[in-house]
Amino acid sequence: MTKWAFNMALFREYIGNYMKTKLTYRADFWVEVVADLMFSATNLIFIFIVFQHTPALGNWSEAEVVFVYGYFMIPYGIFGTFVNLWNFSERYIVKGEMDRILTRPAHSLVQIMLENVDPPSLIGSFVGLAIMGSAWTTLGLPFHWYDPLVLFVMTIGSVLIYFGMYTSLASISFYSDAPTGIVPLMFNIQNYGRYPIQIYNKGIRFLLTWVLPFAFVGVYPASFFLGRHGDLGMSLLTPVVGIVVGAFGLWVWNRGVHRYRGAGS
Amino acid sequence: MLAIDVAELRKQFKVQKNREGLSGALKDLFKREHTVVTAVKDISFQIPQGEICGYIGENGAGKSTTIKMLTGILVPTSGKLQVNGYVPYKDREEFVRGIGVVFGQRSQLWWDIGVIESFRLLRKVYRVSETDFRRRLDELVETLQLQDLLNRPVRKLSLGQRMRCELVAALLHQPSILFLDEPTIGLDIVVKTEIREFLKRLNREHGTTILLTTHDLQDIEALCSRVIMLDDGRIIYDGGLDELKQRWGKGREVQFQFTDPIRLMEVQKLTGGLAVRWTRENEFTAKVWIPRELNVSEVLSRVVGAPEMDISDIKIFETNTDEIVREIYQSGSAEVNAAALQEEKRAEEPVPAGGVRS
Repeated sequence: MTKWAFNMALFREYIGNYMKTKLTYRADFWVEVVADLMFSATNLIFIFIVFQHTPALGNWSEAEVVFVYGYFMIPYGIFGTFVNLWNFSERYIVKGEMDRILTRPAHSLVQIMLENVDPPSLIGSFVGLAIMGSAWTTLGLPFHWYDPLVLFVMTIGSVLIYFGMYTSLASISFYSDAPTGIVPLMFNIQNYGRYPIQIYNKGIRFLLTWVLPFAFVGVYPASFFLGRHGDLGMSLLTPVVGIVVGAFGLWVWNRGVHRYRGAGS
Repeated sequence: MLAIDVAELRKQFKVQKNREGLSGALKDLFKREHTVVTAVKDISFQIPQGEICGYIGENGAGKSTTIKMLTGILVPTSGKLQVNGYVPYKDREEFVRGIGVVFGQRSQLWWDIGVIESFRLLRKVYRVSETDFRRRLDELVETLQLQDLLNRPVRKLSLGQRMRCELVAALLHQPSILFLDEPTIGLDIVVKTEIREFLKRLNREHGTTILLTTHDLQDIEALCSRVIMLDDGRIIYDGGLDELKQRWGKGREVQFQFTDPIRLMEVQKLTGGLAVRWTRENEFTAKVWIPRELNVSEVLSRVVGAPEMDISDIKIFETNTDEIVREIYQSGSAEVNAAALQEEKRAEEPVPAGGVRS
């Protein structure tokens, strides 16, 4: 518990410093916000265009697909804020900044996550919440008192899945000298999880559920609220899968750190 | 109590072999070959608390690798390792709270924010109380004269200024051991002296154990009571600096300039009975080599006291540490060269056989 309190205190401190630096580069902050939103907007537009040609996708209506997409944006924004590991290999392994991290008394992954926090991504989460809300009314879904609570738990589960997947991916840099092109590949597969999984064939469905469980960051948790497509079992599995994948990522990381070999000099 | 206790410490790296050419690259794609490089070869040493120890060696001798194992960054391949009572890589987070680390080539500070903000952040990371932090910071800022720099962002500091800030950053939590990896690299002579003085004071007043690697032997002469010299992953010398000089030093040389032309015979006669060696540099100049155990003044008095010689100038040369160390490095690498030569010979042998085949 004290460890958590300590990490939270560190988080406050790092965010404070982030704000101080970003205030000097204000334009940068807004450019990033706009870029993030544009990215989501193009995806939404893609959905709208598809539905101009067909009334339903594998039994899913436009509003339902948009609902799933809105849900996806919430954990994705949180993930992007805290687990910004895109340049991990280059900055910490190749340039050897990991040396510095390892001489400090806090968990190495916590330090790296905090050094790279990216609050602009969080705006995407709010936009996602708004999209989900509007689709909710369009679909005329009932609202239960426990829905916000479930959404909260599902979101945490989904964030943990992302965290676990990308942490394990970043940990590969500890084992292999040359960072491989696996991150773009992963990114592409992850994008499939944003759409209803029922529209894919069996192979992809299996892949997205049990191998790279990105379906748990979109359609499974979102369908809890969509009565018609509800699959209670799969929905409730979200936090479980989150904990398993998250723990796996942390385990791979902790093992990887012991293989760190430093850079030059 | 021992600050650092190292026994049979070894670190091996697996290095990928890249084969030549396009076909080689293709082969690498499917089957990688690795060679094992041993950077640190079963070294043992112990450093008691409160000692300043210099760790020297050529580039690639394994200095940095050792330091990184001692600070918990790298996990050793084998051997025993205990620093401050901890096994560094096992209880890393707990262990690093008791040590300070300065890497001359890498900054501990945040690039974009003011120096003081970096210090505040480190205070949180190291869980130093506000009062301790204040007291410590005031003391350090005063001794290193950083008052004017505190609010500037790190990227706008000169190297010398940054280095002084790095020292503060490494010492805010009052570590009992300080590791310095080339702390004076690239600094001008004034800053170098300042930093040396500061380190000496730190050691004297707080009893901080200091282990530093350096290429600048003046750092060693100014600071260290003990030197560990590394070559190709092995310790080739471990002991006092004076002993090092005595063991490897080649005595002293005195050069005399005479007003009249001289002959070797004449000057040799002056020091008859002493184990010295004369050389004639030119018509008016002669040099005498005096072994360490002999008194220079004895030789001097004999030459100067000789009535038939008129001396216009005298110079005394002492072999300095630089020369000694260069000599040791050279003799160390001379062995390596011999081994490499043999290797080459062995490699050459199949060539005539190939010639026969063709």
